Amino acid sequence: MSIETHDLSSASAGHTVESLTTWLVDRVAIYLQRDPAEIDPSEPLAEYGMDSVAALSLCGDVEEDFDLVLEPTVAWDYPTAAALAEHLAGELKAAGKS
Amino acid sequence: MLSEATAADRPGTALLDQEADASARAAEIEFGFGDPYDPDNPVGNARLLEADEAAEISAAGERVLDELKLNADFVPREFGGRLDRLDTLVRVMRQVFRRDVTLGLGYGATSFMAAVNVWTAGSEQQKRELAELLLAGGKASVAYHELAHGNDFVRNEFEAKPADGGGFLLDGGKQVINNADRAEALALFSRTSAAPGSRSHSVLLLRRDQLDPQRFKTLPRYTAVGVRGCHLSGLEFDDCPVPGSALVGELGQGVELALRSFQITRSAVPGMAIGTGDASLRTAVRFAVGRQLYRRSVMEIPHAKATLSAAFLDLLICDSMSLAGTRAVHLLPEETSVYASAVKYLVPKILSEAMYELSIVLGARFYVRDGEFGIFQKHVRDLPVLSLGHAGSAACQATIIPQLSRLAKRAWFAGEPAPAELFQPRAALGPVPFDRLTLASGRDGLSASLIAAVDELPSGSPVERALHGFALRMMDELRQMQEEALDLSPQDRTALASPASFALADRYTVLLAAASVLGVWREARGGADEFLADPSWAATALYRLARRLGQKLPDLPDSCAERVHEEVLRRFREHRSYDLYDSPLCA
Repeated sequence: MSIETHDLSSASAGHTVESLTTWLVDRVAIYLQRDPAEIDPSEPLAEYGMDSVAALSLCGDVEEDFDLVLEPTVAWDYPTAAALAEHLAGELKAAGKS
Repeated sequence: MLSEATAADRPGTALLDQEADASARAAEIEFGFGDPYDPDNPVGNARLLEADEAAEISAAGERVLDELKLNADFVPREFGGRLDRLDTLVRVMRQVFRRDVTLGLGYGATSFMAAVNVWTAGSEQQKRELAELLLAGGKASVAYHELAHGNDFVRNEFEAKPADGGGFLLDGGKQVINNADRAEALALFSRTSAAPGSRSHSVLLLRRDQLDPQRFKTLPRYTAVGVRGCHLSGLEFDDCPVPGSALVGELGQGVELALRSFQITRSAVPGMAIGTGDASLRTAVRFAVGRQLYRRSVMEIPHAKATLSAAFLDLLICDSMSLAGTRAVHLLPEETSVYASAVKYLVPKILSEAMYELSIVLGARFYVRDGEFGIFQKHVRDLPVLSLGHAGSAACQATIIPQLSRLAKRAWFAGEPAPAELFQPRAALGPVPFDRLTLASGRDGLSASLIAAVDELPSGSPVERALHGFALRMMDELRQMQEEALDLSPQDRTALASPASFALADRYTVLLAAASVLGVWREARGGADEFLADPSWAATALYRLARRLGQKLPDLPDSCAERVHEEVLRRFREHRSYDLYDSPLCA
């Protein structure tokens, strides 16, 4: 499998909003073929050209790396990396995975 | 034949009578149109061709459908209509598409596509009002499309600006909208927030007679290559006020609602056009049986005979896939986001290719616009609209692409097979679970049914052994697809994915078609339909699908071609439909 560059440190326990934001920004940067530094976590990802197809793929990545099943609409309801990270942190906590 | 009122009066017995109702209704529509070859029939081929030449929808055809109350088939039974099952709707609409795609879309499917948004997310009152409008013979139109944005409708600009008192002001244009000039109800996909992304649109349902005529206008009609009688035009609004009660579902729910509604319409509409393929094959058979060349009938020329059989098999492949797709909406609603896109992608493609092959048999007749075979060129021109309208082929592939790696990881070779009822054309189903459709799936019971079948297939006769061999090859294909899907880079899982991702989505749809064929045949074994129970058609269908995947295959036993050819002739002589139902036709 070459898709996942499994980052076990992030996939294991101890997620913070900050670490999740970093994970998301890195992941989105790969989708958009940009430097992670160019992506402002407080800007809507759609502004960077993140399309609905990629958003669906991103949900799949979250599922894979964090073993957390997300509604595909989550990326629509939390449109920035920061907002999505906060939501993920809450979900992981609720699932007892943080 | 049941009248609409009687059927609605006894919902308790509806399940038992579904098959009787469905076959009676299909026959009622088919015989309502009368003999297509009768020159005096106002809705015969000759007159439908005249209407097409004049770029008009057949007025006589619309009257026939008014009398048959076709709109009732788009309205759920709980609101006074006949709609129980999507596969039944497809079967009924196929009778219209067998005559005229323009009527099928321009009278029928467009209203259904609009209404699905309301059945999915509308308020009780919106549902009742729309049901009433449709049952009274009114039309509904659905406006997603803006020329500037194509299938990228998340970028749509047509605005519904919040106004004082909770209403909206409509501003902007929608283009190439079927029946925009005459529909009494309009479902409009509108931007309700300036923010980018997928929470900025909403669907509004409007009645034309409630709009301020000073504030909107119909745009001129477009002329198209096919469906020339369809009223394809547009709408332009200038700060036109509408009440807040026009909102369907929640504010900002438009994209989600669209994607849910598409699952229903993408599953259903392609299978309707199998009727068009049926009529085209029938026309070609009529020609081949009647025309003498080289001192024999064209039907005796091996190439022509093989081409006609191949087209019949393509129709059976399409119908198997359409059946699984529509019944999945009822039985596997969590999985339909992928199946619906697969149906919408592959069925019109196979149908169009089959039409091209048939045109070779017809030769120069294919180029003639009137007379006995003139309807053929009309069907050839009309059919491609199915691949264009509502969701282009690439947009359908783009819905599948982001789900491939998830399916590869979680579903393939791991999940439960689909229930047997998925493949039974005549088995009863519960109502459409509009609220259970989800935007993405991690399961695939359809491909799992192929994998599960491989170990249980019989291998007594040479045909059964051939069929078993093709099923094994399909299983190997899925294994290869799994490897490739797991290897897709992140960029290859976006709308801008490389052509390789699109090719993978294409192959996966072919595999789903193979699983559908195998499922239908297994369920038909030992049943009343001797042809469907015979492995000859299924083996030949899988052979064709494996060839589509680029495989080199051993020849089929000769008996397969003979069995299929006999059936092509029998159904022509006995006026039976070229699909899974073998239903009686007028001529």
